[in-house]
Amino acid sequence: MKILLRLLLLSTLCLTVFPSPSPADHGAIHPFGASAHYMVLDPPVLAAQSSKPFWGEEEETELEEWADTIRDPLEPINRIFSHVNDKLYFWALKPVASGYKAVVPEDLRVGVKNFFSNLATPVRLVNCLLQANFKAAGNETLRFFLNSTLGLAGFLDPAKKELGIEKKDEDFGQTLGFWGMGPAFYIEWPLLGASSLRDTFGYAGDILLDPKTYLVQSVPLNLSIRIYDQVNEISFRIGEYEDFKKSVLDPYIAKREAYHQNRKHKIKN
Amino acid sequence: MVPPMNRIHLILGMFCLALIFGKPAAALAGEPLDQLKGSTDKVLSILSDPAMKGPGKVKERRELILKTVDERFDWEEMARRSLARHWAQRTPEEKKEFISLFRELLERVYADRVEGYSWNKIHYDEERIDGNFAAIKVKIFTAKDQVIQVEYRVSKKGNHWMVYDISVEGVSLVNNYRTQFNEIIVKSSYQELIKRLRAKSVQN
Repeated sequence: MKILLRLLLLSTLCLTVFPSPSPADHGAIHPFGASAHYMVLDPPVLAAQSSKPFWGEEEETELEEWADTIRDPLEPINRIFSHVNDKLYFWALKPVASGYKAVVPEDLRVGVKNFFSNLATPVRLVNCLLQANFKAAGNETLRFFLNSTLGLAGFLDPAKKELGIEKKDEDFGQTLGFWGMGPAFYIEWPLLGASSLRDTFGYAGDILLDPKTYLVQSVPLNLSIRIYDQVNEISFRIGEYEDFKKSVLDPYIAKREAYHQNRKHKIKN
Repeated sequence: MVPPMNRIHLILGMFCLALIFGKPAAALAGEPLDQLKGSTDKVLSILSDPAMKGPGKVKERRELILKTVDERFDWEEMARRSLARHWAQRTPEEKKEFISLFRELLERVYADRVEGYSWNKIHYDEERIDGNFAAIKVKIFTAKDQVIQVEYRVSKKGNHWMVYDISVEGVSLVNNYRTQFNEIIVKSSYQELIKRLRAKSVQN
């Protein structure tokens, strides 16, 4: 019961319009890009990728084909929460993150980001193992030991900078997807943003694997740390959500479909 | 056009492909990639041109970029695929109007993106050709050391391989707009879609 309550509290107060795996972290050229984390691509890996059917299941031809879309039975409620999240971003998150960005130098913010990411290694490591990706699991382990020691408790990332070992962005939602579970339907959570039924279960699993849940037992303190982590993250991304909104006709549908397609892509990779 | 190092990379890549598929490397000419790279390099050189910097040059620079992009992007094909099953129901005039509005929107999105972000380098990963269609996988390394995985879909029109879709991290631009357009048309009307596209071009 206590753990359930904590899960609920943690998830609702993880103050972000978009959780980190959301498609809101835009890339160049395109309104719906996202950042990616890569493993070192050695020739066998490249070759293995090349041998996969190129167009996947959907062969692109002159015929019109429909990409599968995500079911959305909760659309009326989701739209309300989407609106709430939008206001939350412009009225709370953005001003706070902008102020923080103005005061704290970029190097320090990158260090904080690295620290939280390093601390969350168990989430990625366990999910690599659950997907039988032993190479990525090995990389995660190596990264954790290198960055926790030489990288001053994770503030620096010598594993990537010196050795080119990239982190592998895995979570429990992706593991469920990897083993064949579909997203079921779309959910837009207030504060947390875009998700699906599957990824909501996944998020709960990730919280159980997150050392922060156990290291900081005091709920208010734990929530404060998570909120700080998110504000720090958003300080790098101010302007992205604004750009996204400018480029689409219906931000709700655009975000929902981008979320769905991006998650499918992440599960495949 | 292509620096020697990339040429070697490309050849090595084609060699791997040839081994897997048992096809001669000559079957993969690399023409789509060459052409795409040519256009991308041109845009990047405009962006890094010192003569094009400064507030007075913004308009001129954007025009140059869009001219380069227009030569490589197949706006009509993008519009047709985005409208999908609703395309056939449109009159030629409506199609023309739609292409122009959609193109205006995409041009602006593209220009905002390339002007607003700093790219460190682009790595051309993989190219697959299937008849008159091809896909090119690219990794963009940003100044903040992020890697963005992009896939271009191109089709051959005459001697030119024209871009008809871009996917970033698995999110296809055409598919995303298609879903938006379809929902707007089904829930309201085609006229409503045009109204909203027009409003976009005024708003931005």
